[in-house]
Amino acid sequence: MVKKLFILALSALTMTGICKAGDFPYGQFTHEELGMKSYAKDASAHAVVLQEFGKSWISTAGDEINLIHEYHVKIKIFDSKGFDEGNIQIPLYKIDGNRFETITNLEGVTYYTAEGGNVQKAELDPKQVFIENTNKYWSQKKFAMPNLRPGCVIEFKYTLQSPRLFNFKSWNFQSDIPKIATEYEAHIPAVYNYNATLRGFYKLANNKAELERDCFSIGGNRCDCSKIVYAMTDVPAFVEEKYMTARKNYLSAVYFELNDYVSLFNGSKVKVTQDWATIDRDLKQDEDFGSQMRKTNLFKDRLPAVIAGKTTELDKAKAIYAYIQKNIKPNQFYGFSCDNGIRKALDTHSGNVADVNLALIAALNAAGLNAEAVLLSTRDHGLVNKLYPVVSEFNYVIAKVNIGEKSYLLDATDNMLPFGLLPMHCINDQGRVVSLSKPSYWIDLKASQKKTSTFILELTLQDNGKLKGTLSRYASGYEAYEHRKEIKKFNTVNEYVENLDEKLPKIKILNSDIQNLDSLETPLAEVYDVQIDAYDNTDHQKLSFNPYILSRITENPFKLSERDYPVDWGAPTETRFMLTLHMPNQYTVETPLQPTGLSLPNKGGMFVTNFTAQDNVYTFSNVLQLNNSIYTAEEYPYLKELFSKIIQTEQTDIIFKKK
Amino acid sequence: MKLILSLLLLAALITPAAAQNNYEIAAIPKDLLPYASAVVRKMDERTEVKSLDNTVYHLKVAITILNDNGDDHAEIVVPYDKSNRIRYIKGVVYDEFGKPVTKFTDRNFSDESYADGFSLFTDNRLKHFRATSISYPFTIEYEVETTSKQSLNLGNWHPNPYTGTAVQSSTCQFVCKPDFNLHYKELNYPGKVAISTDASGMKVYTWSVSNLKAIRSEPYSPDYERYKTLVKFAPEKFYYEGYNGSYTNWNELGKWQYENLLRSRMALPTETEAYIKRLTDTIKTPKDKAKAIYEYMQHKTRYISVQVGIGGFQPFLAADVDRLSYGDCKALVNYTQALLKVANIESYYCIVQAGSHKKSLLTDFASMEQGNHIILCLPFKSDTTWLECTSQRIPFGFLGDFTDDRWVLACTPSGGKLMHTPRYTAEQNRQVCIANLTLKETGEIDGSMNTTFEGTQYENRNDDDRDDTERVKKLKEIYAINNLEIETLNYKRDKKTEPVNQENIRLNARDYASLSSGKYFVTVNLANRMRRPPREVRNRTTDVYINRGYTDIDEITYNVPAGLKMESRPLLVSITKPFGKFTATAVLNEKNQLVYKRKLQMIDGHYPKESYQELVDFFQAVVDADDYSAILAKAN
Repeated sequence: MVKKLFILALSALTMTGICKAGDFPYGQFTHEELGMKSYAKDASAHAVVLQEFGKSWISTAGDEINLIHEYHVKIKIFDSKGFDEGNIQIPLYKIDGNRFETITNLEGVTYYTAEGGNVQKAELDPKQVFIENTNKYWSQKKFAMPNLRPGCVIEFKYTLQSPRLFNFKSWNFQSDIPKIATEYEAHIPAVYNYNATLRGFYKLANNKAELERDCFSIGGNRCDCSKIVYAMTDVPAFVEEKYMTARKNYLSAVYFELNDYVSLFNGSKVKVTQDWATIDRDLKQDEDFGSQMRKTNLFKDRLPAVIAGKTTELDKAKAIYAYIQKNIKPNQFYGFSCDNGIRKALDTHSGNVADVNLALIAALNAAGLNAEAVLLSTRDHGLVNKLYPVVSEFNYVIAKVNIGEKSYLLDATDNMLPFGLLPMHCINDQGRVVSLSKPSYWIDLKASQKKTSTFILELTLQDNGKLKGTLSRYASGYEAYEHRKEIKKFNTVNEYVENLDEKLPKIKILNSDIQNLDSLETPLAEVYDVQIDAYDNTDHQKLSFNPYILSRITENPFKLSERDYPVDWGAPTETRFMLTLHMPNQYTVETPLQPTGLSLPNKGGMFVTNFTAQDNVYTFSNVLQLNNSIYTAEEYPYLKELFSKIIQTEQTDIIFKKK
Repeated sequence: MKLILSLLLLAALITPAAAQNNYEIAAIPKDLLPYASAVVRKMDERTEVKSLDNTVYHLKVAITILNDNGDDHAEIVVPYDKSNRIRYIKGVVYDEFGKPVTKFTDRNFSDESYADGFSLFTDNRLKHFRATSISYPFTIEYEVETTSKQSLNLGNWHPNPYTGTAVQSSTCQFVCKPDFNLHYKELNYPGKVAISTDASGMKVYTWSVSNLKAIRSEPYSPDYERYKTLVKFAPEKFYYEGYNGSYTNWNELGKWQYENLLRSRMALPTETEAYIKRLTDTIKTPKDKAKAIYEYMQHKTRYISVQVGIGGFQPFLAADVDRLSYGDCKALVNYTQALLKVANIESYYCIVQAGSHKKSLLTDFASMEQGNHIILCLPFKSDTTWLECTSQRIPFGFLGDFTDDRWVLACTPSGGKLMHTPRYTAEQNRQVCIANLTLKETGEIDGSMNTTFEGTQYENRNDDDRDDTERVKKLKEIYAINNLEIETLNYKRDKKTEPVNQENIRLNARDYASLSSGKYFVTVNLANRMRRPPREVRNRTTDVYINRGYTDIDEITYNVPAGLKMESRPLLVSITKPFGKFTATAVLNEKNQLVYKRKLQMIDGHYPKESYQELVDFFQAVVDADDYSAILAKAN
């Protein structure tokens, strides 16, 4: 069964009656809970959330506006593999020295059955709660619940205070363990207007709203709140699958983004996110974004040498791209806002993604080219919600340069990427183009090239049983990019060839020639003269030969019978293989290879093999094409079957016999 | 006054001249370039024990990064904590001509916690900085000075720990008062230590190496301490976190630890003592009592690492573990020891270097920095038993491949004692798979596959899945059988000291055999195929080392449709080498059975480097045999 995924805008609810439920009492357990042997709906679970409750509101205590989030959970742990649930780590964000998140009212208790059979309670010792100062942005509150045993129940609660109001507080209905009941209560003052989005496979069991009178006050003014309840029951564990895109795309959760609020000073409405026009305006004025894109004067002195002799716009753009690739090394931080600003990035040769790519845009503009910025969310960061503008979902920025009728997407953070090819982590649905001169718009982020490789083998069987000839390998698109990186792991080409030779004990490389290693836009070509240990001699009545001597697929990458989530295949791939075999006169073919032709529905891919014989020359070829970056869960069985058939095909040999 | 001024001026004049460097690339000897992505131009390390509670470490290093594979060397990481402080860090980046480009100091470093990946909490921190340059090669030179309020951990000198890095010159100096009586151990040091006395009467030891070529990684190489240059240091008298002590050998070091760090940590609440007494009163033999206590401890506790201050060496109190039911390896061993003591069972707290790669403590050199884990030894007469106390599931008396076959230090009331943990032999580490399958006309196979796991192979299957969906999912990843479906599955675990696990599966796999031109192609090795041999190594420098022996046996019977004959050459391989044996056969018998038998045995040990090519050829022969397809055709 394939489940349907949705991203849903939660509308402002009509106020209905009274929301019941609410938090459950702390410090209580039942004997049923303690006696539970497994979770009936998922016998494989090592632990299950019995009850989980969260409540968020905005506090004005002490003349500070803070988000307050109360969290309370009770978890049943069935066995020692579930003990990880008892090691808790709460990340806390620091805006600066004065504004940071804190935890208060932390309490925890473990209920367990002791050796004698009587039930015991062990409280969390406050001395065993640690705070780790991770780096300048983050710290972690860490604690381990005491006295865990197979069968125990743990319960803890705390209050998080945060100066970050923008995203209110999101709530994950789903986690790595199943949840029997999870409920979230948001108290949103009428002066704040948030957009709420629900993601995932599962529906809310309860979603009610009610009005709370005079719940919020500041400076003597009062206003009402909406109390909104979101609840789910029996939420299955989130189980990651191989070849999966971001977990966030599928995890059942509710997210918030501040839309507007009423100013506490003058009562006027302040729009935070409303429409792209406002966002465009803000981004263009942003000190760490639009202002950086306009810093063309930084390149006045630098540029002439870079584009000297380049006459066409395309050549100039390529030269500038190469210049930025070489001149600013990315640090490990993603983001669409500059870390240090492009001036400092150019001086120190170091910056975050935005420093690098906004510098690229500024440099392109400085050369009179038309360059724009593209905001995007990387693959592991999840898909962007397009129901309404949510700027905080972006975590990356690239450049788009428009030359004549064509446009090119550029990421200068990787110096092995050819002009116009995006790294795989940027290929994620759509990005938002932000231009200094016109309104923003969506653009598809597709792999502009495939991952293409071709192997050509021309071999002759010698009397001594060895195959001699040439092996050629051509790589383009993502294959060339990845393969270049592999070669560059060695200090010299000779060291790469030596290692290749060593890795293939049956193949001796007699001579090698590698072309276009540094010409990133041309296919990478390798030609090797080789000698292959095939047989001990040619005095056999029969010789069987498997043409997949370089690599034979013997294991299916897809093993599950069905899947919940789409398969993230990366770039579309095309692999061609051609082998020409010259056999000695005394042999003729007894069992030829049967030609194969298989394809996926909707032109998703194919596998084709061919075999021809002429005199003593045998030609074998095969092509494997996988044309999509992502295969849906519905397409999964076909993909799995394709690989199964490939394995079957590749295990058959050609059999030669003596004439 | 005038004199002082001119001295200062003179000093100012001298300093740059003395700091004159030759970091241009052309000055690197050509024979240091092969396989190098970075070259250590000059590295000077100096450790000075000013007094037992004041050790100063000074490092000055210049390293040339030849290409971006050497970028890791431009990441400067300096760890520190409350008692190990950084006095200063400063450095300069030079271009390929040796001209200074940029400078950096402490202020450019970011401050981060030293997350070791397994601790709930540690108070170790680090300073981090990445030096960058847009063109290669470039050289970074930096200087670090740290002070440490102790003299127990004196570090070691390891001039070339990395692959792909050459060393032009590296020097280590150890400076101490003459009565400090430094103990040191040289490993593979080609020269002779120079000992002198400086102007202030301090004793100065100097070691140096030069022109070390870059090392390539070599598969199946022995522990680096067998072939790389290292000098290890140990004090005779020391101060550490409020403790004074002294030692000259393992016996004394073990005694010091026992008396200062361990002895007073074992008190238990009376209820727990009473419970242990009740638990063991009716059990007859000490070994069975110990087993009951061990299983009680496994059920009650879990592993959590918290490293603060002396906590790196000293276990939590047994009473704290009793109360919290968690602790790190030290705490859990100490707790188990305390519980055993209640039942009058003697046990030893043992320091071991843990990891699948076997590594012993140096038997002839005692120091605090060897070992990274604690296990417990029960010295029963002629039945020494070993316990791993951090796992809830490992059988009593079984160490697995984490701490087997190595020298460890037992800290006992009568002093430290070197002991050797059990070795699981190639014969003992067995995986035996017997399958009986039917090959149908369609190419489908079905039948049973029963596998036994013993010795360290006992751990090949997890013991913590709750239901079959989870287990089936994992087995599908383990077994490369095309279209594998598992119909039934069960495990029989015998958790004795030599544990055995038996896996019984009923399976089917559609299209397992390919049908082509009316013939069946059957990959006879069902599920234990070696994919590729290790890389060959030209000009190998290290001996061949097989860390742990094992034996894999597979006997697969395919009942095939009647009237088929074998068209491929029968499989018949048999190789015997000092390091291993391999046999594989596949024959079609008159009962219409295609019978495949394979035995691979690797024998642990060190072998001369010349035998490495033989090892590659051996594995290549295994790979080829594992790839074999039997071709079955209708007999005419």
